[in-house]
Amino acid sequence: MKKYLFAIGMMFLISISIKASNEAYEKAMRTEIQKLYRAGSVQDLQQSANVFSRIAEMNKEEWLPDYYAAWAYANMGFRTDGGIQEKDGFFGQAKMHAKKAASISPNNSEIVAMQGFIIMGELSVDPNSRGQSLSPIAMQTFAKAIELNRQNPRAIFMMAQMENGMAQFFGQGPEKACGLVDASLKLFEKEASEAKEGALEPMWGKNMAAQMKAECP
Amino acid sequence: MKTILSILLFFLAVQTIGQTLIKGSVKDQKGQTIPGVNIFIKNTYDGTSSDLEGNFQMETELGGTQTLMFQAMGFKSQELEVVLNGSVQEFHPVMREAINDMTAVTITAGAMEASDEKRAVVLKSIDIVTVPSAMGDIVGAFQTLPGTSTVGNDGRLFVRGGDASETAIFIDGMKVGNAFGTTASNVPTRTRFNPNLFKGSFFSTGGYSAEFGQALSSTLALNTVDFPLRSQGDVSLMSIGGGFTQTLAAEKSSITASANYFDLAPYQSLIRQNFDWERAPFGWDAEVSARQKWGNNGMVKAYVHTESGGMKIWQAIPGSEERGELVDVQNRYTFAQGSFKQIGKNDWSYYGGISYSNNVDALVLDQVDLRNQNQVLHGKFVALKGFSDRFSIKTGVESYTYRYEENFRSQNSKRELNDHHTNIFSEADFYVNSKFILRGGLRGGHSSLAKETWLDPRLSLAYKFPSEGQLSFAAGQFSQMPVEQLRIFNQELQNTKANHLILNYFLNKNGRTFRAEAFYKQYQKLTTFKGNPFQYIDIQQNGEGYAQGFDLFYRDRETVKNTDFWITYSFVDSKRKFAQYTERVQPGFASRHNGSLVIKHFVSGLKSQIGASFGINDGYTYTNPNFPGQMNDKTRGFQDLSLSWSYLPRPNLILHLACSNVLGRDNIFGYRFSEQANASGRFEALPIKLQAPRFLFLGLFLTLSKDKNANQLNNL
Repeated sequence: MKKYLFAIGMMFLISISIKASNEAYEKAMRTEIQKLYRAGSVQDLQQSANVFSRIAEMNKEEWLPDYYAAWAYANMGFRTDGGIQEKDGFFGQAKMHAKKAASISPNNSEIVAMQGFIIMGELSVDPNSRGQSLSPIAMQTFAKAIELNRQNPRAIFMMAQMENGMAQFFGQGPEKACGLVDASLKLFEKEASEAKEGALEPMWGKNMAAQMKAECP
Repeated sequence: MKTILSILLFFLAVQTIGQTLIKGSVKDQKGQTIPGVNIFIKNTYDGTSSDLEGNFQMETELGGTQTLMFQAMGFKSQELEVVLNGSVQEFHPVMREAINDMTAVTITAGAMEASDEKRAVVLKSIDIVTVPSAMGDIVGAFQTLPGTSTVGNDGRLFVRGGDASETAIFIDGMKVGNAFGTTASNVPTRTRFNPNLFKGSFFSTGGYSAEFGQALSSTLALNTVDFPLRSQGDVSLMSIGGGFTQTLAAEKSSITASANYFDLAPYQSLIRQNFDWERAPFGWDAEVSARQKWGNNGMVKAYVHTESGGMKIWQAIPGSEERGELVDVQNRYTFAQGSFKQIGKNDWSYYGGISYSNNVDALVLDQVDLRNQNQVLHGKFVALKGFSDRFSIKTGVESYTYRYEENFRSQNSKRELNDHHTNIFSEADFYVNSKFILRGGLRGGHSSLAKETWLDPRLSLAYKFPSEGQLSFAAGQFSQMPVEQLRIFNQELQNTKANHLILNYFLNKNGRTFRAEAFYKQYQKLTTFKGNPFQYIDIQQNGEGYAQGFDLFYRDRETVKNTDFWITYSFVDSKRKFAQYTERVQPGFASRHNGSLVIKHFVSGLKSQIGASFGINDGYTYTNPNFPGQMNDKTRGFQDLSLSWSYLPRPNLILHLACSNVLGRDNIFGYRFSEQANASGRFEALPIKLQAPRFLFLGLFLTLSKDKNANQLNNL
């Protein structure tokens, strides 16, 4: 009897602690994702990145904490007023987290799109000297993300941005890029309507796509 | 029951000891505060970030002894023990900077790197292909860089008063024998390899690493593309030939096969030539390269290139009105290599490989029918161990087998040379901090034929100024066996020697690069000889000399919109006793003043890149037998203005038009004199010129791929 009681007790405890850790994870993530979407300054983003790094340390099976840490660092790279070295430093951190996320969840369209986003960032640091070598890699990466999930609005929107840059470079019209933006906006809407309350999956990018849409003829 | 209770109690106890306040500040070694440090209790969610002043404060409900972690970008992580007992805990750690490849100082003395990845680079890979005067030749592009001189009638790399044989070429770390195409004398040659094969290159004009040897002046290390972006086919149609390349890329492996054919005959029938061709140069090449990922970080590459070509040319004889001598050159060449790299455990990494080159020339001139064959087999294994982010040691062993044979089929006589070299090298990198690096290396070698053992020390260091710019210094000793054509006559010849001293300043800021370098190079044991090619006599090693000077390089991609330009000036003061000279002379290939300017301008409206390059020097020395002395005369200065126009009507189509020496300047690289004086006692001269005043190149390059981007809209 004693034995059984002990075993039942242990199982109970274990299940409590697993549930607790899941809840703790989800709660921590939900709170921080909200903060991240509101974060404006590099400092805010750094704090968020730090929190996601900590969550990632605790949840080595989850790809989302590293994904968001990568996104925070990439945004730091875009927003900082610092020089090339500082920007590259942020994109370097972003890359590292994206790579970690990818090793946890291979062939994940969102992570591949994030990797493309980071390459786009590196390109933007010094477009004159990096454009030629990085823009095909960025496009390739977005193409892969789209191939993995044709419903990924972020991958399609970022591809639209690249297409827009290409069209400008070659003096072509924005039709193709704008077509992609329209497609991405539809998917963003679909994503928003289907999303469950408090979902942890990536939801960002709609505003940027809408902004780009405004520039379309 | 009791057990369960106590476990339950324990769980509760852990969580209810009360709150502990942890606070403090974080500084770096210079005493400056670090914002944004991630501070947390290991294996828990509890943590915070330091603010802009480096201060932090957090509360935790945990108890007991825990590990407090400090993590920040650019610093080494730190772990501190913390006892959580309710009382305030204060920490003021000093974080040590981490050395990062991307931001730390790099040694730039003597080095010119073209890479898309690293920072202290002079060129991007793509820049090489688009230099107008280069006409798609890798070496042609390097000839617009400081420290090199253009020797138009040769085409190879001449670095800082050194002759072309003093530059060694490597692909993925493996030696390439006979990297340049075989040609008749005074007909310029090209590198055999397609520039698109390479993702980057490392060109050293001196003071280079102990990893490389058997080059008195310079090394050019080319690195092949790791992974092609996509499966694609590339078609090239050119005024001188055409080719097709097919790439198949999968997740972990890829293969590229290519075949090209060229024939200058149609072109030469349209455009008048200075040379008297019996058969214009022609040739074909085929190559296959394959790459396979090996685990997560490793890579195995294989590459085979084979080609065949030839030409027949009448070489006029000074003082004679006749057509002269008919020279028939046929060449067969194969280069094959396999290489690998792998990252092991505990900061070990390994790379190495094996390469084989086989060059067969068949020369028929006048009565002589000569077939010579040169083979080089190179094996290499290198292990690299990082002891910390500051200190690493690279150690390697190499084996070289050289085999050279001259077969006079007309006389039925044959001679050969067999040599085996064993080399070991070791090189240590020590970062004093991220601004200061020291590198020391030793390279030892042994030649079985010369029965000589040698040891070459190398040293370099670099210091990055706190504000901007960096200073590098390099020194070393370099050994190289004399060329095979001499060794075959005198198999006891020992290494020739050079000592280098180099001081370099490098500044890269906001799209502008400035580089200044001063050098001193001392030569010893150079070969001197009498006689003619393939009939050398009295070969000795009492030659010596020096080369000194400086060069300047400025590149700017910012000042003028859509425009990239670089300008260089190199001053070389060189005198040496070598070859057939019995006293110190200024070598014909070492012009004193050398300049070049390359401009590329992108015109969006025309979807075109327009390029111009201009090269100039003060002329080449030569010996005029009508006057006493050696190297007693100098040609007029060399000048070349090349223009190019690349038109990109679509992302996958490029039309390229280039013309060298647009101004049609009559460049002279020296003179050939008659062997006997004529009736009036004068030696008659014939100027050495290019094959035609201008070279016109028209090419169409089309990339065929299953362009997923293009199909995107339709699929959605």
